[in-house]
Amino acid sequence: MPIETGPRGLSPRRRRPLLLCVLAATTVSAVALTGCGADSDSGVKRSSSSPPKERKSDTKVLWMGDSIAGAEGPALRAALTAAGVEFENASSDGGGTVVNGDRMSRQLAKTTWKELKKNIAAFRPNVIAYQITTYDWGTRQQQRASYEKFAKAARDAGAELVIVSAPPFKVDDFYKKYESAIKSAPEVAEEVAEAGGGGVRFLDSARLWGTDSGAAKALRAPDGIHSCQQGSAAFAKWLGGELGKRYGFAPAPPEEWAEGSWTDDERFTKLGCK
Amino acid sequence: MTGGPAVRTAGRDHLAPLDGLRGFAVAAVLLFHAGHLSGGFLGVDLFFVLSGFLITRLLLTEAAGRGRIDLAAFWGRRARRLLPALTVMGLLTLPAAWAFGSPALLGSALDDAPWVAVQGVNWHFITERIGYWNASGTRLFSHLWSIAVEWQFYLAWPLVVAAAGRGRAGERRVAVLAAAGALASAALMRDLGDAVDTTRAYEGTDTRAFALLLGALAATAPVRELCARVPRRAVDGICALLGGGLVASWVLTGGQSSPGLFRGGMFAHSLAAAALIALLARTADGYVGRLVGSAVPRRLGEWSYSLYLWHWPVYLLLPDPVFGVGGWGRTALAIGMSLVAAVLSKVWVEDPVRFRAGWASGRRGLVALSAAAAVAVVVWAAVPRPHPGAGTVDVNRLMAP
Repeated sequence: MPIETGPRGLSPRRRRPLLLCVLAATTVSAVALTGCGADSDSGVKRSSSSPPKERKSDTKVLWMGDSIAGAEGPALRAALTAAGVEFENASSDGGGTVVNGDRMSRQLAKTTWKELKKNIAAFRPNVIAYQITTYDWGTRQQQRASYEKFAKAARDAGAELVIVSAPPFKVDDFYKKYESAIKSAPEVAEEVAEAGGGGVRFLDSARLWGTDSGAAKALRAPDGIHSCQQGSAAFAKWLGGELGKRYGFAPAPPEEWAEGSWTDDERFTKLGCK
Repeated sequence: MTGGPAVRTAGRDHLAPLDGLRGFAVAAVLLFHAGHLSGGFLGVDLFFVLSGFLITRLLLTEAAGRGRIDLAAFWGRRARRLLPALTVMGLLTLPAAWAFGSPALLGSALDDAPWVAVQGVNWHFITERIGYWNASGTRLFSHLWSIAVEWQFYLAWPLVVAAAGRGRAGERRVAVLAAAGALASAALMRDLGDAVDTTRAYEGTDTRAFALLLGALAATAPVRELCARVPRRAVDGICALLGGGLVASWVLTGGQSSPGLFRGGMFAHSLAAAALIALLARTADGYVGRLVGSAVPRRLGEWSYSLYLWHWPVYLLLPDPVFGVGGWGRTALAIGMSLVAAVLSKVWVEDPVRFRAGWASGRRGLVALSAAAAVAVVVWAAVPRPHPGAGTVDVNRLMAP
């Protein structure tokens, strides 16, 4: 660490040029270094033996959720874009809940609702897909009220709401005290969907992941919570198929999108995916 | 300063116990990063307090002696002290990551390097929410956030001392500003620490400023006068309690998400460290001063900067297990390798540039620094960009029913 315990250095007269040099060099370096080398995340396949088919759909999907949804987002964008679906990833890295429950979730939900309003105005989705977050903390009543409010907001925006259950994840010390809320959230969401008169749909992702976060089928990252590329691709294929059935578009085959540049997304690096 | 001459390093104005404290701090960080000391990250906090103390002491001494502070000279000394070792570590780490690291490790190192170069990598990590993702283990330069915090402090604090430290009441004004700033910083940490992602609270320059400012406060006349009133016989007992308390906190703190850490816990650690430093500076030749300033911790302290720079890239690039050895055996090997790199860095890079290289100052210094910057850019640009995602998706597996 940069600590010294006594005066040091060269004569004062010699110091100014060096200082100017430091400042100039670091500035020039910064400009030069940050201006190049960036990777784009187009999701386009790196190499392909045949060009993908042009597909078109009227479906516009707004994707919401927490950082688990965030790690699924790049694959979902690649899969849906290849199917001709317009896609906007509005998931949050740490938050993203719509539930006005306890103090923390209320704080997070405030941001989500504000962002939702902006995204609806800018993107005009006809499908809002929300993956239940790890922060949907609250009583069953609070969860129900929040999901019903969400359904109304979607309906008012001319969109259908699709609520997807969260994948199984490791319930560590951080989540332990919220275990009952984490368990009740998908149950309440399903009840809201059943009573929603068709404007709200519930998809149970346990059909894809199973219910054991430690099982191979759950395809969890080393942190036991998020997914790496293979898991995200599996989810994109599954959700793309489910949405295609409901909204009348044909999913693109995985060979067209599953190995695209989205696999370089920095979230996977942060998760230690290999 | 009233430290006894017996414990001053010969021929230099170093206070041996403070060098020794740096040794303890770096040892704590090394053990923490190896997974053996859950509260060892607090060693960085001790570094901050020491830096605040030592830098402020230098600035106030200069202000008292010359009536003003030569800011350009101060920043020039800082640059000569810190940049060479940092540059060499970065220049060697990138090719090493290309040769031995995973594509993901190399990719993030290349992304982070420009931010390291401009001493702003802590803010880069804050925007990347590195704490939320628990991503330190995926970034070779993640430990350099603290170096960036110190640099930013070195840029700002001398301006304050230069403006407020002049005249008879100068040190008192500096003390008041340091104390007020520390309290404001601690309040900010408390507010921002109550979030899902605590990177902002943990790595923010403003939220960590209290440690540097408490160190600065400890270097001012009011605190020196307060310490001078403590009976000499009592100093050892108080120092033992404070030092024991610091070590106990390193052992007992459960980790960076421990309850209370951002709500005063870290502030209390900084306060204890500042009190210990102030007392050791007042009576460096007491029992505790002699113990802390003994050969091993002092030598470790002298190597601490390059040891800190090198240990994390070594930890991440060294296979786990290495030659079938994991746990403490691997830790010993990693620390040994880091020590070798640190000693070589000190002998071949840091000391020559600081004390013996005529080319490191004046116009030749300008040329040398420009050349180093150009080499850094070339190395950074020459390392092939990896594709971390290549081969991570098995399409056949996706197609399986």
